[in-house]
Amino acid sequence: MLELITAIEDSGFATWVRESPSIFAYTAILSLHAIGLAIVAGLSGVVALRLLGFAPAIPLAPATKLFPLMYAGFWINAASGLALLAANPSGMLANSMFFVKLGFVAAAVSIMRVIRGRVLGDPELVRTGNAPSLAKGLAAASLFCWLGAIGAGRLTAYPYLLQGLFSS
Amino acid sequence: METLAELLSIDAVSSFVSDGSWVWPFCEFLHFVGMALLLGAIGFLDVRLLGFAKGVPIASLSKLIPLGVAGFALNAATGFVFVAGNPVGGPADYLGNLSFQLKMLLILLAGINLLVFHWAGISRTAEAVPAGGDAPRAAKIVAAASLVLWVGVIVFGRLIMYNDTLLYALGL
Repeated sequence: MLELITAIEDSGFATWVRESPSIFAYTAILSLHAIGLAIVAGLSGVVALRLLGFAPAIPLAPATKLFPLMYAGFWINAASGLALLAANPSGMLANSMFFVKLGFVAAAVSIMRVIRGRVLGDPELVRTGNAPSLAKGLAAASLFCWLGAIGAGRLTAYPYLLQGLFSS
Repeated sequence: METLAELLSIDAVSSFVSDGSWVWPFCEFLHFVGMALLLGAIGFLDVRLLGFAKGVPIASLSKLIPLGVAGFALNAATGFVFVAGNPVGGPADYLGNLSFQLKMLLILLAGINLLVFHWAGISRTAEAVPAGGDAPRAAKIVAAASLVLWVGVIVFGRLIMYNDTLLYALGL
């Protein structure tokens, strides 16, 4: 396992991502990661807020067309995230917040899938435009998980903050 | 520029940032949340104007603009904390940073773009388009410009901390 991590870290690609002065290396990948975040969390957040009663004039059935865009945002971040992980696997894999973030992302995407399949496919909901309390619960959970993913992602850059928290 | 840097050197803000090590990362967290809110809300309107999810009436999306403005307000406030409270180099470090300058320029252009959408009557003709209808060409141009500008804001925002990379790419 440790050998594999070292091999990835020493690979040409990982070295390029980490050390190249080119704008298309680390900084471009980091920018893509922020753009993907805005797309997937932003659109999921708007759908969740709509289910919670915000902007009720927006019809839910045609809004499902947004889901391919959300998935595009997700895949941009899966790819850019893997490249960033390859650049620093020993650091990230030792970072507990990284795994908390992955957990939140997995939960948020799963909730998104349930909302797409069960909630937005419900003919009663499509007819009245009014989300039942279960759908509202899922929407609130979706918002919570995306906030958790963003927060934990940010904290991966501040490992000492958490160490301070747990040691004091 | 120097006067602006002095004007922004607010002791209360910088001591607020350096006294609590949580302040900076928490503001960064909020800055990302505001970004997602802004892009999610304005981006939804933009892609509909460009022809995505045509079943959604354009008028129904006008409620999203205040949501986008709320995201922007959150980011203006947290962004102010970064500039005024910058523990290394103070506000001058940001004001002299090319990536930051370009980010501010793109935000200004995105703001003008939104005002054109509202005050040139483009939003009115677009909102009259029924579900399933195609937005007028002027609205599509505004929408495309909005998407390009906000994505540019994200890119140059990310580049602030890696400004050397931009200078290297530009041969400066």
